[in-house]
Amino acid sequence: MNSLRQYLKAFSSARKLLLYTFLLCFGLMIFLPFLMIALKSIGRGWFGRLWLPPELTLDWYRWAVEVTNIPEITKNTLIIATMAVTMSTLIGIPTGWAFGRRRIPGKELLMSMILLPRMIPPIAYALGVAQIFYRLNLVNTHFGVALAHVAICAPYAILVLSATFEGLDERVMEASAVCGASPVRTFFHVILPLILPGILSSMIFTFTTSYNEFTLTLMTYGKDTITLPVRTYIALGEGYWEVTSAMSIILVIPSLLVLFVIQRQVAPEKLVGGFKGV
Amino acid sequence: MFDSMIELRGVTKRYGEIVANDRIDLSIRRGELMTLLGPSGCGKTTALRCITGHIIPNEGEVWIDGHDVTGVPTHKRELGMVFQNFALFPHMTVFDNVGFPLMIRRTEKLKRRERVMEALHLIRMEGYEQHYPRQLSGGQQQRVGLARALVYRPKVLLLDEPLSNLDAKLREEMRFEIRELIDRLGITAVYVTHDQAEALALSDRVSVMNAGRIEQVGTPNEIYERPESRFVADFIGLSDFIQAQVTAVDSEGGTALLAAGGLEIRVPAAREMEMGQNLLLFTRPNDVELLPASHEDGINVFSGVVDKMTYLGDRNDYRVMIGDGLALRVQTDGKTRYNEGERVRLHLPVALCRVVFE
Amino acid sequence: MKRGSKTRAALVTLLMLLPGLACFLGLFFYPMMVTVVRSLRPEGAHTGWTLGHYTTFISEPRARDVIFLTFVLSISATLCSIVFSVILCLVLRRKPRGHRFFRLAMLIPRVVPGLIGALGLLLLFGSRGWVNLALIQFVPWITEPVRINYTIGGLILFYTWLYFPFTSVTTLSTLESLDPAIEEAADVSGANRWQVLRHVVIPLIMPGILAGSVLTFMAAFGAFSIPLIAGGNYRPLSVEIFRQIDFTPTRWSAASARAMIMAGLQVVFLTIYMRILRRPSR
Repeated sequence: MNSLRQYLKAFSSARKLLLYTFLLCFGLMIFLPFLMIALKSIGRGWFGRLWLPPELTLDWYRWAVEVTNIPEITKNTLIIATMAVTMSTLIGIPTGWAFGRRRIPGKELLMSMILLPRMIPPIAYALGVAQIFYRLNLVNTHFGVALAHVAICAPYAILVLSATFEGLDERVMEASAVCGASPVRTFFHVILPLILPGILSSMIFTFTTSYNEFTLTLMTYGKDTITLPVRTYIALGEGYWEVTSAMSIILVIPSLLVLFVIQRQVAPEKLVGGFKGV
Repeated sequence: MFDSMIELRGVTKRYGEIVANDRIDLSIRRGELMTLLGPSGCGKTTALRCITGHIIPNEGEVWIDGHDVTGVPTHKRELGMVFQNFALFPHMTVFDNVGFPLMIRRTEKLKRRERVMEALHLIRMEGYEQHYPRQLSGGQQQRVGLARALVYRPKVLLLDEPLSNLDAKLREEMRFEIRELIDRLGITAVYVTHDQAEALALSDRVSVMNAGRIEQVGTPNEIYERPESRFVADFIGLSDFIQAQVTAVDSEGGTALLAAGGLEIRVPAAREMEMGQNLLLFTRPNDVELLPASHEDGINVFSGVVDKMTYLGDRNDYRVMIGDGLALRVQTDGKTRYNEGERVRLHLPVALCRVVFE
Repeated sequence: MKRGSKTRAALVTLLMLLPGLACFLGLFFYPMMVTVVRSLRPEGAHTGWTLGHYTTFISEPRARDVIFLTFVLSISATLCSIVFSVILCLVLRRKPRGHRFFRLAMLIPRVVPGLIGALGLLLLFGSRGWVNLALIQFVPWITEPVRINYTIGGLILFYTWLYFPFTSVTTLSTLESLDPAIEEAADVSGANRWQVLRHVVIPLIMPGILAGSVLTFMAAFGAFSIPLIAGGNYRPLSVEIFRQIDFTPTRWSAASARAMIMAGLQVVFLTIYMRILRRPSR
């Protein structure tokens, strides 16, 4: 009956082939778009039925830097992101602490409410944000755009930080007190090291959210506060696909880097999906 | 071959460096309840899963009812299986759970209903058809699992530690129910457990396993009374071990003399005994007699001191030192009590001393 | 004394919640209110009420097309995501070689701006993109580039690319939390692979699939950057809103009305999502 065993092995090999072909196609579908963008950004004369650009050049990057002033734009993006992160974290810490460690009636409902801006795609309320900003003259200020970003960054910071603070075991703090440490020392030597990873994680995710944010920025930007995503969109509208590609690569690299670095420490599934335990 | 319902021939299963099953040869007879007994990691579950087909062995063959099923997928093997954590389908009612195998076999609806009700009657759970597993207790869930496994009259029933997730009292009740059910249906059963009391109470035969190998196969009586290795002796019941050396063999009288700790102990002679041989003397703490110091001398009567005494309610557990630093564990009924430090005498009845070759 | 400390504690909690609440009220609730009010005011005016913008929009035949289009795109993308995610997760849970890499790949559409994803997909599926080059080269009856970009099918494909991770992440986690003994029990009972899938696995992971799909649907419904760039002549609701702003003078009220319609529909779906989450797991 060994032929039966061999038959089964062969069948499972055919199935395995199908499986891996499927995975391969999936992998290609995910990565090929980026590969094409990358090649477009360094290719010259890539028209017609060519698989690869005939010439390679860094001209497009040069153009991005010199003509469209990417460094300035990147600077804008980073300033805005930093402001957004700071504000979100400052909001997230006390609120997160409250959610994580204090009694709140209807906590679940409240949390769902706070996460609403994250659940509902921004276009719906971005309009209102834009109008308010016009009235308050916040358009075209870094602060304004950062504030708009906070609308979607803060909920996320609150979520992550509340989970972090919830995980703080009281008994550790008690033990520290029993060992003779004053509250201040307990904070610096015990609490801080324990919550630092959570705070860092929240800051990183908030940063990438702000960095990538497009819809809200589109509604609230001005000529001095153009961010990378918005500039890329404009370039696309202008039809300069090569330059757009160059900008896209500059835009995308940090996010991908963060993903690959983070995936070892934190469950990356947290970047996706809704709320409630995420 | 005719008598055996299930045969494992040279079954070996490796996971990298670890050999979970090492050349297992086992024959399970028609209609018997065979238990695979052993500590965690001994390979009993692996062997069971080789029978079900969830594991394909690296080497060897699995035969069921005269057919080589080594290459046959699980769902074609016509086996019934009961799981440790019940594994009922949470999204189906009791009726649908039990009827599932029949639904798969496209049994006609009326017939299906008949068989399901029959099975429910067998496990005494009529009236629960529309309940969901989450509404049932552990014991009830396990019975539903049994019904599901038996509803299509398989030739073999496999049970993977079915009672481990139930509390002690329930376990004893269910034990009898399972045995009764299996007897009534005349089905062959393979039972996996690490609980020796269960194994001894339930089985026709027991297969004691250790580290991937079968140490001994025999009836519960054989396993308990005549263990063939130190492991089996140690695993089943309580035991006392004494390292000893053979000093004399009296083949006519059927006894031999062993020397240990400066004492001379008489034991029944075993065929393989030789002069000067090192072996293990073993006896059960229950079989050792504890006597007052004034008791007269005799064969296998030794003087000693009570080192430790533990009160266990219905029994007393002693640690007695005899001879030259030999410690023996003795268990007696609670009637007479000897205190720590008291001088006593120990009697090892010759017939109840056994030897195990290392 | 006890009551005093209780109120003190409550006060402290409230204080701590204040930043979060302020953020919610100021950056979400108030803007939404502004939008509501705006949508009911005549264009450019600050007084007076009118339902004009709503009625104008709804009575336009275009409006029905737009809403219909938005639904078609979202529902199709959701269905495709479900089918794809289920297959992907069933494959990944057996932990084939490199499965960690693919689990990571599953997240990529979510960590890059939709804009970039759209650009890449446009390039890939364009008439000079690799997909068409491969089709022309290897498939005998295709000699001209196939139009994928700017078609409905292409748009649905792009939507799926961007939003399937919502579905696949929850599906995968539900799948992996399934007790393997249950499938083995089905196995032993005589069910072959397909039957186990159909009768046992899929019903049991359905809650996970649904939870993720509602997220996919909501995201697809509100998708903005993709249709903006790759929608061509197809303009779903989100882009419609944006177009009102592009007019000079800016048609805030018209945009607001459309935004409210969109937000309203989204609230309906959010409620459905909450309902699904609250359903007790079997």
